Amino acid sequence: MESLGDEPWDVVICGTGLQQSLLALALSRSKKRILHTDPNDYYGQNEAALTLQDAESFAAKHAGGASSEADEKSVIRNAAVWKPDDAEAQGLKFPRAYSLALAPQIIHTKSKLLSSLVSSRAYRQVEFLAVGSFFVYEPAKDGSDPKLSRIPSSREDVFSSQSIPARSKRSLMKFLKFVLDFESDEQKPIWEGHADAPLTDFLTAQFKLEDDLKRYVVALTMALDGKASVRSGLAAINRHLTSMGTFGPGFCAVYPKWGGLSEIAQVACRAGAVGGGIYMLDTSATVKPSGETEKASLELPNNITVETSSIISGQETTTGVQAISRLVAVVKSPLSSLFQVLVEGAPTPAVAVVALPSTPSPIYALVHSSDTGECPVGQCVVYLTTLATTDSKHGLEQALTMLIKAVEGEESTASCLYQLYYQQAIGDRKSTTENHGTTPAFSFPPLSATLAFEDTDLEAVKTAWSLVLGDESDEETYLVFEDREGADAEDEVYE
Amino acid sequence: MASEDTIPVLKVLIIGPSGAGKSALLLRYCDDQFDPESSTATIGIDFKSKHLAVRGKAYRLNVFDTAGQERFRTLSTSYYRGAHGVILVYDISSRASFVGMEKWIDEAKSNAAPNAVLYLVGSKLDKVAGGGRAVTFEEGQAFAEANGALFCEVSAKTKENIKRPFVEVVDQIVQKPDLLAGAAPRSNNTTLNIGNLGSDYSSACPC
Repeated sequence: MESLGDEPWDVVICGTGLQQSLLALALSRSKKRILHTDPNDYYGQNEAALTLQDAESFAAKHAGGASSEADEKSVIRNAAVWKPDDAEAQGLKFPRAYSLALAPQIIHTKSKLLSSLVSSRAYRQVEFLAVGSFFVYEPAKDGSDPKLSRIPSSREDVFSSQSIPARSKRSLMKFLKFVLDFESDEQKPIWEGHADAPLTDFLTAQFKLEDDLKRYVVALTMALDGKASVRSGLAAINRHLTSMGTFGPGFCAVYPKWGGLSEIAQVACRAGAVGGGIYMLDTSATVKPSGETEKASLELPNNITVETSSIISGQETTTGVQAISRLVAVVKSPLSSLFQVLVEGAPTPAVAVVALPSTPSPIYALVHSSDTGECPVGQCVVYLTTLATTDSKHGLEQALTMLIKAVEGEESTASCLYQLYYQQAIGDRKSTTENHGTTPAFSFPPLSATLAFEDTDLEAVKTAWSLVLGDESDEETYLVFEDREGADAEDEVYE
Repeated sequence: MASEDTIPVLKVLIIGPSGAGKSALLLRYCDDQFDPESSTATIGIDFKSKHLAVRGKAYRLNVFDTAGQERFRTLSTSYYRGAHGVILVYDISSRASFVGMEKWIDEAKSNAAPNAVLYLVGSKLDKVAGGGRAVTFEEGQAFAEANGALFCEVSAKTKENIKRPFVEVVDQIVQKPDLLAGAAPRSNNTTLNIGNLGSDYSSACPC
């Protein structure tokens, strides 16, 4: 067996986050010698899916908060896990029965991520599930209990809705029709002058939408600050509506089973391995100082030094001050009413989205059924997200209780069996390139801290791909591959 | 034979230490190829497919190779997803490879579905003739039994027993209805096939 340090590598990829892993996939049919490492003993980094055991070490590693300067710049901070003393007696199963996603982003059916997975043939190893209904939390009003209202998400849906008065229906239909081609020359003049104004004002002025309907529309933008601008809001609603039905009736987005983007990262890394890349987990790589005319060297554990022509990594720290707070909760109830099939022929959804009002910014809950494989049957995993404030952890916990009671009624005994809390910085979203000797070192920005996967996060992958391949990069071949498996299988019969 | 769309697909993994002969077993069984010179890590093989009929019913068997990720023990949890069976391979001429099986069995048990079929294979049976055996048949069998796995010894070089692990794994799988439940195409109403559904994406279905 040849040793790692004998020959220089063409590229060393540090970290197995989604972007680094997609790069490994993109390079998997090149002749490049690739070493791919990760400091953790699991794949995925900030997009990993964690067993309860992994979640504990993750929380311990990222427990630091804004108190120390080093932690203040860390992308993940203030992490903590919690469970009731008698969690196991209440129904918490063994640690590996859970797979908590650090990146539970839904992926719109029109996303380039999906078309890239198809064209690169990597999609076959990923099981995709449907994202179903979107709900808005309605607080108790006039003596009625709090409840979740389902947002009608297509024109047919609006048409058949019983809860919207006829007059409002007409305004809403008019708005939906407008959004579908809001970028056309005909519609542009209507909104361009207000592009940066709040969407909600525009909805009142242009479409006379009532408050209830405006809340629906704003919730569908999934803007974490609850204040989508006209431009970004219309784009988000357009993506939602045009994604609906692309892959089948009744859903606009998908979710990879077993832990979201983590699965895509792992499948991409396997493609890298099939292409000859060498994988090492639990391995930190540090750059050694090098002369100006030399290739850079990286130091691995056990005094192994490797030379490389390029280095790709991910940014672990950020200068951004804004962060989001995330609460991942295992709930002892299937919350089945959130996962109903509403359109004939639609697949059973495994993910539901709930917007809960809160100040200063709304709270979004992505509720995952056990179909996601992230928890045992009879339980569900709720991923709550909001913009970070000093009190956001408390706010998320309250929102979880509100959500459960709204689904199951005030008497609900559905308890929380496990919680993982952490904050994630919203970086400035710029990749960086520096040079160590003659070796370029490219660093991916953190993934967008959004509820839906943003295609803009794929741009840096292509940049890194061009950097590694240099003159050999041919855009036509980027992530476009033939299937690996050989010719038709032979038939054999055994009795 | 039933059309491709209706044949249940079985996923079987081959795992074990580097150099145990995993790829040789796979290539001999699926392609009837054997390269005595090839001792380097396997590149370019994702999985191989083979149709076979057991107990009068047709199946498509997809056998997955480790793609070298066994070298530093970096097989991903996703590799094990949906596997109906796991074939664990050691080299009967290497004591170390047999001793290492303990860890591989642990990994298979903790990552694969609880009811997945495990099968232990001692490879390079041809080396016995030259006095190269370092692990007895009885040791292998006892270890397999202790872990609820079936067992046999094979040679990819001479083809001895080469089909047996695959046939017996499939035979075991098909007797477990709960394990088989997920194998039928579109057997449940949750998993989507984005390759087939997105006609915009793939102009040609490779199946």
